[in-house]
Amino acid sequence: MIRKRIFSVVYMFLLTFFFTGIVSGIYEINRERIAINEEIKLQKIILKVLGVQVPPGTLDARVRQIFGDRVKRETGQGRTIYRGFAEDGKALIGYVLPLFGPGFWGPIYGMMAIDPQLERVIGIAFYRHNETPGLGGRITEAWFEKQFKGKTLLPPEQEGRYFSFRPPGTAKAQNEVDAITGATGTSKAVERLIDRSLKDYLPWIAEQQAAGRV
Amino acid sequence: MIVMVELKSRKIFASGVWKENPVFRQILGICSALAVTNLLINTLIMGLSLIFVVTMSNVTVSILRSITPTRIRMMVQTLIIASYVIIVDVFLKAYLPDISEALGPYVGLIITNCIIMGRCEAFARNNTVWPSFVDGVASGCGYAFVLLTIAFFRELMGFGTLFGMDVMPGGWTNWIIMVMPPGAFFMLGAFIWIVRSLGPRGEEEELKK
Repeated sequence: MIRKRIFSVVYMFLLTFFFTGIVSGIYEINRERIAINEEIKLQKIILKVLGVQVPPGTLDARVRQIFGDRVKRETGQGRTIYRGFAEDGKALIGYVLPLFGPGFWGPIYGMMAIDPQLERVIGIAFYRHNETPGLGGRITEAWFEKQFKGKTLLPPEQEGRYFSFRPPGTAKAQNEVDAITGATGTSKAVERLIDRSLKDYLPWIAEQQAAGRV
Repeated sequence: MIVMVELKSRKIFASGVWKENPVFRQILGICSALAVTNLLINTLIMGLSLIFVVTMSNVTVSILRSITPTRIRMMVQTLIIASYVIIVDVFLKAYLPDISEALGPYVGLIITNCIIMGRCEAFARNNTVWPSFVDGVASGCGYAFVLLTIAFFRELMGFGTLFGMDVMPGGWTNWIIMVMPPGAFFMLGAFIWIVRSLGPRGEEEELKK
């Protein structure tokens, strides 16, 4: 009896070891490819929030070329932003800052583009999350992202937030957007993470501007 | 002997694809049947992924059937299924990133697809490798066949396209509902209804007699 139990444990252990090994090996072989795909995806997201049209089906090399012509990456003090330029590659059209924070189920990653005066939102997009498909997962849908387009960035009141999420259909003011029905947890988390990212990045971008660095 | 094996394989295949079709006979795998059937290309990839996972899991479970202790077999099956699903997921991320994106969590959710564990438990655990292989391919094909049929009508009516190519005449108005989840319910319901009324009488009626 006891021998049977020990066998079960050893058997399960060896089998797990074997399969984990195979899976890790296959992942390792493809890691570089996946990293490149992720990079292209990020570049597409940055171009999208800046309002630069990249038709679906565009070749990866072309995406990379457009990105290289129109976007410059700036880093400092642990922060990363992207500067977007007009088609001539000279006139600044906006800054892209990363949105990051805990969601309802896992971390949520996004990007937000704002105009050079730091007053208006050009676009917003979320590209990685673990929210429930059809509920919280709707943060990646066009109607949700569109709500932010052109909104004025009003400095929040004491302890207030840049954007407040209202019950669906009731958002009116410049700093209000519709939350997602059935996804209160995700809505609250996104409200918090947008606010936190803006409060972190806006003063920093203004500082960099004043110093003539961006 | 060879003839017998071939006959048996054919029987297993026919039962997996039609007589005991996982979707419209056993009503398994409905979640993904509803979720990934609005574009044929996504459905095709999902179907192929499932065929791969169910076949390989069946084969592996069958190979290990005599040494796997019965008490821990579910754990072993889950481990095997999860490994193959992750392999598919990695492969899609590396070579078909757009489709991987579109399928989103549904590839990972193949792990919980009842068809696979159902076949491992009901068939592979008690059969040799070759029949298990055939059974896996058959069940996978049965699933893929139903999903593709549903996706065919949903994409045709919802987008006016097939595999992304325009096929409907100029004046065609897209039925938006076909693209949305309710469209999947209507299509799946209609499909099961038609297939069941075409086929021989079900077990329920035979039992009533």
